[in-house]
Amino acid sequence: MPKDHKVRILLGTRKGTYIVEGDARRTRWKVRPVAHPGNEVYHVVADPRHPGDLYAAVNNSFWGPAVHRSRNWGKTWKEIATPLTPSGKDRKPLFNDADPTTPVPRALNNLWHIEPGLPSEPTTLYLGADPHLLFRSPDQGASWEPLDSINNHPRKKEWAPGAGGACLHTIILDPREPKRLYIGLSAVGTFRSEDGGETWKATNRGVLAPFLPDKHPETGQCVHHVAVDAADPDTFYRQDHGGMYVSHDRMEKWTRIGKPLGDDFGFCVASPRSAPGRAYFVRLDGMARVTGEGYFQVHEWNDKTRTWRKLLGPKDFPGHFGVQREGIATDDLDPAGIYVGTTTGQLFVSPNGGKDWRLVPYQFPGIHSVTVASPSSR
Amino acid sequence: MARKGTSRARAPRAPSPSSIDVHLDSWLREFGPRGHETIEAESVERLLDVLEERYPRLRFKVRDETGHLRRYVRVFVDGEDVSGTTGVATPLAGARTIDILHSIAGG
Repeated sequence: MPKDHKVRILLGTRKGTYIVEGDARRTRWKVRPVAHPGNEVYHVVADPRHPGDLYAAVNNSFWGPAVHRSRNWGKTWKEIATPLTPSGKDRKPLFNDADPTTPVPRALNNLWHIEPGLPSEPTTLYLGADPHLLFRSPDQGASWEPLDSINNHPRKKEWAPGAGGACLHTIILDPREPKRLYIGLSAVGTFRSEDGGETWKATNRGVLAPFLPDKHPETGQCVHHVAVDAADPDTFYRQDHGGMYVSHDRMEKWTRIGKPLGDDFGFCVASPRSAPGRAYFVRLDGMARVTGEGYFQVHEWNDKTRTWRKLLGPKDFPGHFGVQREGIATDDLDPAGIYVGTTTGQLFVSPNGGKDWRLVPYQFPGIHSVTVASPSSR
Repeated sequence: MARKGTSRARAPRAPSPSSIDVHLDSWLREFGPRGHETIEAESVERLLDVLEERYPRLRFKVRDETGHLRRYVRVFVDGEDVSGTTGVATPLAGARTIDILHSIAGG
């Protein structure tokens, strides 16, 4: 099979899945025909262990959530197994978030995030869903196992949803240690497991919960998204409702870095493979949830110098733009490509680490998620 | 959640199976019968069980995994909307047709 040099931007939107293809120059793009038209697609991701395999979290307003898979870079898609849909006539729910000994009917809501496993686990997938659910598939989505340590967590009845629902939206694997997992839930916070998801430790120390009477609880923070540093798997960048943070110790403690920006609210963060120690945030007005200064803006955090750099000016892209938690992504090329999708359907691309920015000339539906499949990641 | 009976609930009838003509809207036909379908069932729940047995791709589209009708699905028995009242518990004794539609929603 000839080597594929395409860069593919995968978009989950309010009205379907879009794949935007380009080459390593990342200056010209071709938008492929929409898939899952009319469906809310919260996440689309490529499986780097199996080139060509894509997974989509499709949330149909009428018929409910479903996992879809493509085996040919999105040319065709097929619905595969969806969690909490047991075989046969057994319709009993697989969990009870209030009291594990007393099942109550409660359906799966939206699917939020699909995470391919490590290269050492070539058929493993993880899936995060609402209400605060985590699943693992051992067989590329043919079946799903609930992780009851989260799904039946003894303190789950204390967990509140965020505005987007009770979503488990962030799943991060440690490339050095297959049993170490990190998750993020709204509005609960982050957790780390050292035993493959058997047990979990809340990891929110230092993160402000400005909307609670106790401003620094063990859990209850509204984490919006977390990115891991490509060169240092112990370092994480966090966009929380309560600001922008960094942790250098596997989330044991978080340090707020966003205060110099003033309002450091936002939803998304990404850290590229080719630029260790750099993280990119889209700062939003905390009340309006759009770029408050009246123009599209991305801020770069340099973790070595502990300084911020503002990447765009007021004349570049004027307007008020919203960006959701999965709305920013970086590729694996050098210099890094940075991709930002907005709630009003614009797709911004920087092919060179934030130096230059272009708008892909296509009006998409509101964009929920952006991921990138780039050649060096295969 | 469970849809309880209200003043609009149909009166209880003897649970003898009726032969019901089933009509699905065009969107649901992607998962189920494209043409005429007849099912003998004593309740909406049982009718959906049979329909899903015949057309497995319909499973969890009309009902979620707790067995309740999805929020934007409407079921009409002989022209009466039972989705917000007796729901899947609606008896079908004497009924002749059932229409399963998606509701007007979205944007």
